[in-house]
Amino acid sequence: MRGARALAFLAGVVYAFLLLPIVVVVLAALNAGDYLTFPPQGFSLRWFVHFAQDEAFTHAFVFSLELAALATAFATVLGTLAALYVARHARRAADALRVLFVAPLQFPAILTGVALLIFFYALHTKAQGTLSLVVGHTIICIPYVFLAVSVVLAGFDRSLEEAARGLGASPFATFRRVTLPIIGAGVASGAAFAFINSFGEFPVSLMLAGVGATPLPIELFDYLRFDFDPTAAAVGTVNIAMATVVVLVTERIVGLEVLYRGRR
Amino acid sequence: MREARARWARWAPFALLLPPLLVLALFFAAPYANMIYISFLTPATGGGAYGPPLTLGNYRDTLGDPFNWRILARTIGYAALTAFAALVLGYPLAYHLVRQTGARRAVLMVFVLAPLLVDVVIRSYGWMVLLADTGLVNSLLAQLGLPRQHLMYNGFGVVVGLVHVYLPFMVLSLLGSLGGRLPELELAARGLGADGLRTFLRVTWPLSLPGVFSGTVLVFVLAASSYVIPSLLGGNQVLTMPMLVAQRVLELFDWPSGASLAAFMSAFTLLLLWGYVKLMGRAMRGIG
Repeated sequence: MRGARALAFLAGVVYAFLLLPIVVVVLAALNAGDYLTFPPQGFSLRWFVHFAQDEAFTHAFVFSLELAALATAFATVLGTLAALYVARHARRAADALRVLFVAPLQFPAILTGVALLIFFYALHTKAQGTLSLVVGHTIICIPYVFLAVSVVLAGFDRSLEEAARGLGASPFATFRRVTLPIIGAGVASGAAFAFINSFGEFPVSLMLAGVGATPLPIELFDYLRFDFDPTAAAVGTVNIAMATVVVLVTERIVGLEVLYRGRR
Repeated sequence: MREARARWARWAPFALLLPPLLVLALFFAAPYANMIYISFLTPATGGGAYGPPLTLGNYRDTLGDPFNWRILARTIGYAALTAFAALVLGYPLAYHLVRQTGARRAVLMVFVLAPLLVDVVIRSYGWMVLLADTGLVNSLLAQLGLPRQHLMYNGFGVVVGLVHVYLPFMVLSLLGSLGGRLPELELAARGLGADGLRTFLRVTWPLSLPGVFSGTVLVFVLAASSYVIPSLLGGNQVLTMPMLVAQRVLELFDWPSGASLAAFMSAFTLLLLWGYVKLMGRAMRGIG
């Protein structure tokens, strides 16, 4: 049993390593001093006040929320359609389509960003800006919705739909009253996951951000290159709180593990 | 009427497929194809311009520049080190996690996966707070009367950040091959008189090789294409391949060169992976 205890201890150390920087960000945000030192210098909310008063940060924060909302809306519709098709109608093409719809997760995002930037320039559009960001983020988010919805579809009893049709419901009514309520949980957790990933997306945003269209991670990144006072920690703490909510929701519904399976 | 309806039933499903397929074809496949095409075009002098004729010149320049090879070697070195460290840390964690049940397992799983949902910039910032010259670790060292250490804006800081960010993917890969019937097989080996070390070397490790393999490949690829972590934790001291590509594209507007560099990076990474797949395949066959 000495072995088992040593193993538990070792695993504990690695868990601590995983959570350490996140705990540190929250501590730094609540700490009164300019640097987080040991021991801490007392509790204060002044860095949150700093954040709320910093126009660049609040602007980027609101922009990121809007961007994530738009990208999530598009990705949720597209990812759900794709999952429905692959689960029910694709026969021989199923594997190839699955690879395609998960591909944006598996290609290096920095290269996807470069490719999109060059492509938008070639189309003679305004390559960097809100529209490009929405398209880029939508592409990045589709796999999450696709994976989450595919999971709930795998356990779906289709005789329920047939029963509804047999009782005279139209295909649309069947979808709205039967299919959607059942796969709804998968759609919701896929959407939550898409939202948080769009909110934290970096490489694609780096390439496509434009004047007046700067998502929060880019703003933070520029800030941290020159300065790392705890205003960034306050921003980070808000992000951590959002992530916690998403974790609790998705873990309940489909399980977090599933949403990363696409990365394997 | 009936015939029309049957035809509709056959084609209606494509209405599901068409929108997502078109969006991915237009905004994912086409941009990548276009990038490869542009890497063969002649750059013109001045911002972002390029045009015919087709040329191999960009690749000749990219491959002929020893600077690019140095950056590539460094990027690959960090990625390999990250994959190895993530394996060393992830293995005991996954081995422990697989043997937990119920609510305990769910909570531990959340601990492993939740960090993935926090913005990478924020996670890097957490490490900056810890590792800076005036950071938490150094303030602790000072309290203990030990000399300050230079922990970031160098390779050490970069690898620590990379390991932290990609460790969850290693754990996920290992979970699959450390679970299943492995615990029973270990018990059987012990019952037949093998000691702990022997059981590990002859049963656990060989059977976990597929997970070790997919985990190291995944972490290697992710770490080699990381941009944020080397930029923040390496400062301007550590330049890696993704940073170089971004620089060519965003600062120099040299797209043919940036595109050929991106292709060079991807091709070399794939080549290395191919060699690794061969090696691991042989190792796994030897055991199986």
